[in-house]
Amino acid sequence: MLDDQAAIEKVTKGRQLLVVGKNIERVDSIDKVLGKPIYTMDIVPENALYLKVVRSKYAHALLKRVDVSAARKYPGVATVVTAEDIPGINESTALLPDKPLLATDRVRFAGEPIAAIASHDQAIAEEAVDLVKVDYEPIPAVFSPLEAMKPNAPQLHPIGNIAKHMKVRKGNVEEGFKQADMIVEGAYQTQFQEPVPLEPEAGFVIPEPDGSITCVGSLQSPFHVQTGIAKILSIRPEQVRVIQAVTGGAFGPKSDEILVDVFGMAALVAIKTRKPAALAYTREESMIGHTKRHPFHTTVKVGVKKNGRLTAWEATMLADTGAYASLGPLVIMRAIFHTTGPYVVPHVKSDAYCVYTNNTMAGSFRGFGGPQAHFAAESHMDVIAKKLGMDPLDLRLLNILRPGTLTATSQVVDEACGLEECVRKAAEESGWYRKREQFKQMNGTKRRGLGIAIMYHGNSLGPEGSDYAAVHMQIEQDGTIKFRTGLTEYGTGATSGLIQIAAETMHLPTHYFKLEPPDTDYCTDTGPTVASRTITIGGRAAQMVGGKLYQRLKEVAAEILGSSFDEVDSSNDTYYVKSNRERSVSYRDIVTSAFKRGVSLKEAGTFTAPKCEYDPETSQGTTYLQYTYGAVTAEVEVDTETGRVQVLRMVTAYDIGKAINPLSLEGQIEGGTVQGLGYAIMEEMIHKDGVVQNPNLADYYIPTSLDIPEIKSITVEYPGHLGPYGAKAIGEPPIVLPAPAIINAIDNAIGIRLTEIPATPDRVLIALKRKGEVKA
Amino acid sequence: MMETLYYWFHQRQVGRQLRRFDMYIPENLADLLDYLDAHQSGVHLIANGSDLINRIQRRQINPKILVDLSGLSEFSYVRKDGKTIKIGAMTTISDIIASSVIDTRHDVFREVAAQFGGPSIINMATIGGNVCAASSSEDLLPVLLVLDAQVRLRSKRGDRILRLDDFLKGKRIIHLNPNEILVEVMFPELDDYSVCAFEKIGMRNSLIIAFVNSAVYLKLDKRTRRIETIRIAFNRVAGKIPERAKRTEEKLHGQVVNEHVMKEGLSSLNAELRLSSDFRVSSEYRTDVAGVLFKRALNRCAEKLLGEAVIV
Amino acid sequence: MESHERLLDVLRDRLGLKGTKEGCSTGDCGICAVLMDGKLVNSCLIFAVQARNKKIVTIEGIGTETNLHPLQKAFIKWNASQCGYCIPAMILASKDLLDKNPTPTEDEIKKATSGILCRCTGYLKIVEAVKTAAQEMKK
Repeated sequence: MLDDQAAIEKVTKGRQLLVVGKNIERVDSIDKVLGKPIYTMDIVPENALYLKVVRSKYAHALLKRVDVSAARKYPGVATVVTAEDIPGINESTALLPDKPLLATDRVRFAGEPIAAIASHDQAIAEEAVDLVKVDYEPIPAVFSPLEAMKPNAPQLHPIGNIAKHMKVRKGNVEEGFKQADMIVEGAYQTQFQEPVPLEPEAGFVIPEPDGSITCVGSLQSPFHVQTGIAKILSIRPEQVRVIQAVTGGAFGPKSDEILVDVFGMAALVAIKTRKPAALAYTREESMIGHTKRHPFHTTVKVGVKKNGRLTAWEATMLADTGAYASLGPLVIMRAIFHTTGPYVVPHVKSDAYCVYTNNTMAGSFRGFGGPQAHFAAESHMDVIAKKLGMDPLDLRLLNILRPGTLTATSQVVDEACGLEECVRKAAEESGWYRKREQFKQMNGTKRRGLGIAIMYHGNSLGPEGSDYAAVHMQIEQDGTIKFRTGLTEYGTGATSGLIQIAAETMHLPTHYFKLEPPDTDYCTDTGPTVASRTITIGGRAAQMVGGKLYQRLKEVAAEILGSSFDEVDSSNDTYYVKSNRERSVSYRDIVTSAFKRGVSLKEAGTFTAPKCEYDPETSQGTTYLQYTYGAVTAEVEVDTETGRVQVLRMVTAYDIGKAINPLSLEGQIEGGTVQGLGYAIMEEMIHKDGVVQNPNLADYYIPTSLDIPEIKSITVEYPGHLGPYGAKAIGEPPIVLPAPAIINAIDNAIGIRLTEIPATPDRVLIALKRKGEVKA
Repeated sequence: MMETLYYWFHQRQVGRQLRRFDMYIPENLADLLDYLDAHQSGVHLIANGSDLINRIQRRQINPKILVDLSGLSEFSYVRKDGKTIKIGAMTTISDIIASSVIDTRHDVFREVAAQFGGPSIINMATIGGNVCAASSSEDLLPVLLVLDAQVRLRSKRGDRILRLDDFLKGKRIIHLNPNEILVEVMFPELDDYSVCAFEKIGMRNSLIIAFVNSAVYLKLDKRTRRIETIRIAFNRVAGKIPERAKRTEEKLHGQVVNEHVMKEGLSSLNAELRLSSDFRVSSEYRTDVAGVLFKRALNRCAEKLLGEAVIV
Repeated sequence: MESHERLLDVLRDRLGLKGTKEGCSTGDCGICAVLMDGKLVNSCLIFAVQARNKKIVTIEGIGTETNLHPLQKAFIKWNASQCGYCIPAMILASKDLLDKNPTPTEDEIKKATSGILCRCTGYLKIVEAVKTAAQEMKK
């Protein structure tokens, strides 16, 4: 694989990059600014039925009886579907086979789907929901991992309450603690963070005359949906066509089971009625039904020498995965691999548990365990610094990963490690020493503080699954290059980036390329669009396929120009003979000629990343093929009378390997940073006895335009070995650090160490009160 | 033995579309009043819908008939009648703050609007809608309470005028007869000796549902600095609706505006306020911050009148 | 048209104007904003009958493919549109601002768009786009 990379880059070596590294406009912007009807619910067929879902009222109950007879008879109701209508397997899952599509004998979270009602009129379907009579027998429930792990706790699943347990064992922590001069303990708690994609989940299913179905929806992973629906309907995956409509934000949940839920229910109705069926979740359903960020309770015990060198790191992470595991086992995997933060620690012992509770589900959400792991690690580093009387920046620089050192999983850090440069640049830009000194002198009711947090982020799936991506490219007669992939666009701009990479490989301007919607009929399985892997893995596939097409064009050009293959080169859309540039032919003419000669200008390929091997008992091994590194500072102002925290300025520094599109990259960084800010100070999905108290945007607070800080974005490029041109993943990293950076800044401002996020005004003020005087 | 957990299903149910109902659109006021006289139950009035639609979605009400008031443009006005300012019930917040009658003396309305939640919200929210919603989320209510506002209610049989605090009975409960509509809100204008300030706090800087908000009205003898009248209101005091903290008002009456009186006010509020916890914030936080907001509002009042704050 | 239909429903379902989006149904996100008689309003909170006799401008009324409004050009240039779901509302709110205040400060731009939630961009590029458009429109 890495040889292919070298070969491709040889082709473009020595050349000025044509489009990669340029701020090319995204291919989908124009339709969006014009308000064209491109999202799922904009293109629902005229005669479609609309579904409304009957959901569990209880967090944990046996279903004694589900009576839909009255709903069936309600005028205007086309059909009602329950688990009994499922021809195949009643399962809608992301990883473990633990979750049904529609509940049969038991419900495990408040809001779990039990039945669906279809009507041409949404209001009628709505009214009929009330007519469904469900006899529940509530049974004891648990709402926290600690409770769920107790011996007498109600067991939620046949395997018990622990969906997965992962371990890191590096060296010998007891030895490490003996070597330490000081041992520092701490405990940290994070919350359910709700992704809030502004377009709630939506999908419609069209039953085709030949017995197959077509699914169109707002999704991240068309192939996951395809296999899931095929199982439910007991048909072959080839009979399920899945097309991604333009998707209004995703951030993770739209790649888990929820779209299988949506399409599953719609497909049951479509098959039964032979009519198109559409299901659009309301905001509340979306917030209750899809996956959110796992709350983590992390206890840490770290051994450190007087001079600041870390000797041992022991941690236990309890992740609340809710009623069904979703991708929880993989979330704790990523979290545990990053247990210590980006530091050299010779002895590490970490245990992570993915625990079932009767809360709503947790699963994929941008960051995927990284934010939780770094919140604990980076908060704790500041605590250690304070105990040692050391500057937190200095403590970090002393211990950071550098090329040649080992991570917590004993992976050797390669030379593509820009962590140190990121840390130094961020600190400098933030005015680290000067400002923190300044802030110490402040008095008055408003106090300022400056905090830092640093990270590393293993790119792509690592050992989470097979890491591959497929790309198809086909040149039409008019020279348009149709680009198809199963990787989905939902705001990241990554697929536009793929176009840039393909264009670069073929050394053509991007306007020739046309990005087709992901469609399982026309692309080979590309895996899910998650883990920030579109550019890293998809980009390699784009290079591969683009490279093959480029060869093809060169062959035809060589024939036309009457020269040998090696003699031909190209610049922009002109192909010429190296020794005599006057002998040239245009790209368009090559295409025309190829068509005349019957030469196929169609290529496809799948790039598969090397497998990551690690020991499942100790997590030691090569866990990721490439890492993104970063450092973020936050300058905050705390109003000590009200507890409100304003984030004034943030400096972000990331080692991104290679920026494919700097402007888009900045957009990803800014967007992720603001989401991280929300995670730090205002976002919290609150459950009470398993019932979500704030499933709406009035009471679940995401940052508005008046809440954003000034963001100074710095990037450095230490090209990695995995991504095209050395590009590294940048979709997820920006959400990881704002929380610890802000919490550390609050500590600098008011001398309060908050160990639980979000740092709401209530928490801040009460903490200040309990402590007494405001201290610097 | 484990106890069975009884589940209290939160009223905010999942996935609500609007249900079907009939709409009555009156051509003019006379028709409307006739209609209300004739239909005395199952009818809900709607100004611009903001609050009502949410309540239908949450199944808090299930109207059979909605009466649309948005066409009654004669109730959109801001007038001065002698020393009284009269605002028509259908006047939007943005129209109120654009009116020349609401001059800099009455900037408190702008203070409310600035923290309301963006242009689209203030373009639709009406003063009548706010008042009739009668809940602690309505920011105008504490301001109107300290301005000693009155409401004019009209039915086929004529008008009656109620003090605002008498009109508000409880959360979403108002003293409005089924055949009446609210047509006007009135309050004495502010002058050289009286000012009003508003403070609010929530989780973020826009689209804020207040944890606590506070309005203070201050009338001073500028020479002696004695408080002639002070009115203090919060979005909650002892119940679930905006109210005035009357005990504290009484304590501060007649005193000289200074640091000492501020402290007295704070400690009195601490005793008088019975703010509850909810899933958003704790009662301890609410009470503490209510005090801070009172202090800030009072300071601003003092600054507006005397040119200096009372306490830093 | 039925009484329970909101302005948003009529625009999307009856008039086929899909550019106006539904983000939350409760009036808390601003994604459904349209201009009604020159004022920015949330179309999910207004019953269609209440919009009778009023002039409604939606995103479809702003620019065309061959003749983009300066705001649309600026949004494209700045890659200010990520998933695109908030963009129609953002453009209408910005247009409303620029019509009334052709030289807004950054703070004024943020205030004008403060009632519309965006989850993808962090707002910064949107603000830049509006600044650029303002300069373009001054010419």
